[in-house]
Amino acid sequence: MIYFDNAATTVQKPRQVSEAVAEAMCSLGNAGRGVHEATLGASRVIFDTRKRLADFFHAESPKQIVFTMNSTESLNIAVKGILQSGDHVITTVLEHNSVLRPLYEMEKKGVELTFIQSDKKGCINPQDFEREIRENTRAVICTHGSNLTGNLVDISKIGEIAHRHGVLFCVDASQTAGVFPIDVQEMKIDILCFTGHKSLLGPQGTGGMYVREGVDVRPLLSGGSGVQTYSREHPAQMPTALEAGTLNGHGIAGLNAAIGYIQETGMDVIRNQEQALMKRFYDGVKEIPGVKIYGDFTTDCRCPIVALNLGDYDSSEVSDELFMSYGIATRPGAHCAPLMHQALGTVEQGAVRFSFSHYNTEEEIDAAVAALCELA
Amino acid sequence: MDGESRINYYILFENYTQGMMLQELLREEHISSRISPAPRAIQGELGCGMSLLIQPEEIEQVRECIEKNQAEYYDIVALPCQINPRRNRFC
Repeated sequence: MIYFDNAATTVQKPRQVSEAVAEAMCSLGNAGRGVHEATLGASRVIFDTRKRLADFFHAESPKQIVFTMNSTESLNIAVKGILQSGDHVITTVLEHNSVLRPLYEMEKKGVELTFIQSDKKGCINPQDFEREIRENTRAVICTHGSNLTGNLVDISKIGEIAHRHGVLFCVDASQTAGVFPIDVQEMKIDILCFTGHKSLLGPQGTGGMYVREGVDVRPLLSGGSGVQTYSREHPAQMPTALEAGTLNGHGIAGLNAAIGYIQETGMDVIRNQEQALMKRFYDGVKEIPGVKIYGDFTTDCRCPIVALNLGDYDSSEVSDELFMSYGIATRPGAHCAPLMHQALGTVEQGAVRFSFSHYNTEEEIDAAVAALCELA
Repeated sequence: MDGESRINYYILFENYTQGMMLQELLREEHISSRISPAPRAIQGELGCGMSLLIQPEEIEQVRECIEKNQAEYYDIVALPCQINPRRNRFC
């Protein structure tokens, strides 16, 4: 199989990730429960991963890193934990349903939403955010990179605008964490939501969030914490405040190894390889008769994603044929990004998304280009 | 891009679990099916990624299996294939 669905999840992981998970499953106890060797082993791995992530995103302290099971959980905690009736939120049409659906839930509870529109290439103008800020604007919530087009959003500019107006800035880094540098302090990010299983190359069921010190987030869950047993309320101290129940210690051990791999290999090296593969693919397919490519390719500084259609073919049928006849795995349809598809005019047809990993090869890219030439 | 008039039968579902459950039932009755992306043209508001692709000659057996087991599904849709299976192949 030629796997080009890395924006959904990366299938190929560094060898040390599965080794770390296997080792953890044979040795780790429950972190923060007692002080015997097995529990301490888990606590150490989890703390070490917090430190690595804090360093990775330039957080002020490891205690501001919270573990969750994925970006969706992080975004739910953020959206439902900072908003209340009467608040106003600015977001974009680039967002995934993991942002949109929690926001729509909050809209029913009296939160006002404003969507920043994109141009025909799926790009948004950071200055548009400033025009939409109102007296009751509580937060700007936006993606760092579109999961459909791969377009990057200039979060530094948006962060500066939000910060200047005293508005919380929450970023969905699902498509970028692990491959693009993110500095939460420099970019003035108050809450960063990320998943472990995509560009961070970790196991599924791992993810997390950074919450700036002093930002008050109401917890989504309460329950076991290993501390303050006789209190009727969940502990208020970070990161325990936003972590209830047993953490995925086994998965977090794998995530730790994955981040180690990225740091040893070099995030820039990984990103350059992925972008070179994306460019080779784009250059190979852009002249195919009838091909429609979505997104802004005037810059190479974008997520390694190419979404396209062949003529009027249904994207699902093209994707199915790519897999059945050529063994090429892609993602057709709507990609949980309904507003982006509306903006691009692809609601009816969907799009075939090719998303690349640094583990992909030029030979695989060339095979996909040849397959699309045949299908067209 | 001329497609042939071959007809595909797709069973649509409201989620993946319904689809996996029906495929298991079909397997038990030795009825062939293949999980395929649901064509956008017939998804409507569903927007759910998977469908079961059924051989036209087995569609009645499939309906009987669904009826007998009260299996959950959304719709069964016949759709002409767009891609020409007899196109020139070079790779």
